[in-house]
Amino acid sequence: MEETREHLKQMISVAGLSGHEAPIHALLESAWQPLTDEQHTSRLGSLHALKRGRAKAPRNSLAIVTHMDAIGLMVKDVDAAGLLHLEAIGGIDARVLPGQLVTLHARGGDLPGVIVIPPAHALPEDQSSGVPSLAHLRVDTGLRPAQARRAVQVGDLISFATLPQELDGDLLVGHSLDNRACVAVLTETLRLLQTRTHAWDVWAVATVQEEITLFGALTSGYALRPTLAVVIDVTFAKSPGAPAHKAFEMNKGPALDWGPNTHPRLYKEVENLARRLEIPIQPSVYAQSSGTDAILLQVAAEGIPTAILSIPLRYMHTPVEIIHTKDIERAARLLAEFISGLDDAFMEKLRLDTPGEGEAS
Amino acid sequence: MKDIIRQLVEAIGPSGYEGEVRALVQKMLKGHVDSMKVDALGNLIARKGKKGVDGLTIMLSAHLDEIGIIATHIDDNGFVRFTSIGGVLPRNTAGGRVRFLKTGQVGVIGLEAHKNTSSVPGLDKMYIDLGASRRAGVKVSVGDVAAFDRPFEDLGGRLVAKAMDDRIGVAILVEVMKGLKATPHEVVGVFSTQEEVGIRGATTAAYGVDPDLGIALDVTLTGDTPNADTMAVALGNGPAIKVKDSGMISDPRVVAWMEAGARKARLPFQREVLSGGTTDARSIQMARAGVPVGCLSIPCRYVHSPSEMVDYGDVQNSVKLLLALLARPVKLGGR
Repeated sequence: MEETREHLKQMISVAGLSGHEAPIHALLESAWQPLTDEQHTSRLGSLHALKRGRAKAPRNSLAIVTHMDAIGLMVKDVDAAGLLHLEAIGGIDARVLPGQLVTLHARGGDLPGVIVIPPAHALPEDQSSGVPSLAHLRVDTGLRPAQARRAVQVGDLISFATLPQELDGDLLVGHSLDNRACVAVLTETLRLLQTRTHAWDVWAVATVQEEITLFGALTSGYALRPTLAVVIDVTFAKSPGAPAHKAFEMNKGPALDWGPNTHPRLYKEVENLARRLEIPIQPSVYAQSSGTDAILLQVAAEGIPTAILSIPLRYMHTPVEIIHTKDIERAARLLAEFISGLDDAFMEKLRLDTPGEGEAS
Repeated sequence: MKDIIRQLVEAIGPSGYEGEVRALVQKMLKGHVDSMKVDALGNLIARKGKKGVDGLTIMLSAHLDEIGIIATHIDDNGFVRFTSIGGVLPRNTAGGRVRFLKTGQVGVIGLEAHKNTSSVPGLDKMYIDLGASRRAGVKVSVGDVAAFDRPFEDLGGRLVAKAMDDRIGVAILVEVMKGLKATPHEVVGVFSTQEEVGIRGATTAAYGVDPDLGIALDVTLTGDTPNADTMAVALGNGPAIKVKDSGMISDPRVVAWMEAGARKARLPFQREVLSGGTTDARSIQMARAGVPVGCLSIPCRYVHSPSEMVDYGDVQNSVKLLLALLARPVKLGGR
């Protein structure tokens, strides 16, 4: 796990904003190369890595799907003063932006910058108290106007510059822990599988574009046609002011999500396994949409039975997201055990045309 | 090319009712392409060229449909209530005229009395006055569709019409399909349906065509009018190469390829980041196992109004850029 913790710190030190995932893709490709048998890149840039199973071909396959893209900002315009106007990539929480250090990824190389807020008197009346919207924030790179117009293009990417920081031993703070913490779960699962046997093929899938379109998961699902899928994403951890019924404990294990994007029988199987192994999990109910890759993965091709594991995370979509590394360990152990237990008969347990445990027939 | 544009923008074709526009395009392309077919959703799919060793199947998509209205009720005095097809903006509507597709009848859009003149009431407070004095004289039925009625105007460098969104893209695609000579690619020109109601035509066309690369041709907004929202696109600065809109991020390799092509052909271009709206490229990107996509946008003022304005130079440069790009093998670089 120490190795995975360092891997995670590396992952949250590189960019890889939605639609522009090349930096994180390169890092993961080399991290997974020794852990898997084949690596491919999808037509949209998702990483597919195959760890072959022991059963006779054709084998069933399980895809573990987790997104590698991150939220960030994009240059919308360079104004007369050389300040950069901003467009959000994904669901940026603009309230935490003023004062943040950022990295501008320009043609000529990376440049540092800060997100600045105009003085209250320079803002429209409805924006002059409280936090102004993204339309009023700027990035100052310190470049003179003419230099800025030469160096910066419309469409250049801007990512958070927060460095990873350990807090109180097992906590990690940084940007992009949504969803690199979950990619770390997948890497740790692959490590655990090195000393185990499994009958099914395992596809480790790091998807693109989750924060904007979910098209990475949709297209990888279509391309790979896995027999089953487990999506790993983050969920809201308890934090100051968060209502207890809408948030989960940190260091109490991953959440297992129940709702329309979840295959009910697959949920039961994972839940029963966690109980048998005494790995803590927290049941999590979503009424309509899981807000994850599972939304489109479930309906890719002819449909893919999908389960969702979530890692509780504080301060989601800010540059100071916090996770508990023990939850990563627990989720990885649960997944490795689940994969080791998959056999020829497993799909029979998921049939929806037979009455299941505790269900009305 | 102005004559082609005039014919296309003056035809009526709200989403789902693209037949008249499609027939016009079929006539314009006859004898200029290898094949044409119409698919189940009404997309016109025209093919030209064979996929050679260095070639790709490249889908270009421009949508046939325009925003419009559909009659929902006719009262005893002959006033027609209606709802929108696509993103009709109430502020651009009252006082305008519409022309019905089936009968060619023209009506005036009226507004119920309202006291607060600084706000714009919704379409449910508006009606169409066909000049009838009672219901019996009305030839419009519930479910009949109409488009804004506004003639094409040539202001010299700038062109104004209803439905520039996206007949200007259609006109460019017609010119590209006609002008295409030697190409290593199989070029598939898709004249798509139902873009304004959820990019529905391009979704199935992309599944059917299964392209290696996709490019949408559509209008984009500008930031060059008084007190406009920030946007670094202006009329007359060249076609816009889309980096991002609110429904899609272009494949960065396709953006780089398009920019390099424009530089090589010495054509002006602008990089586009659009905050609201999206195009057929979104649907092409999500087809099957995914498709690398980009979008060539034609800067357009007053989008979704009856007076959409484009720059003729931008239009001509769009045709030139696409022909230059399609003449050579495509080498997408690293991400």
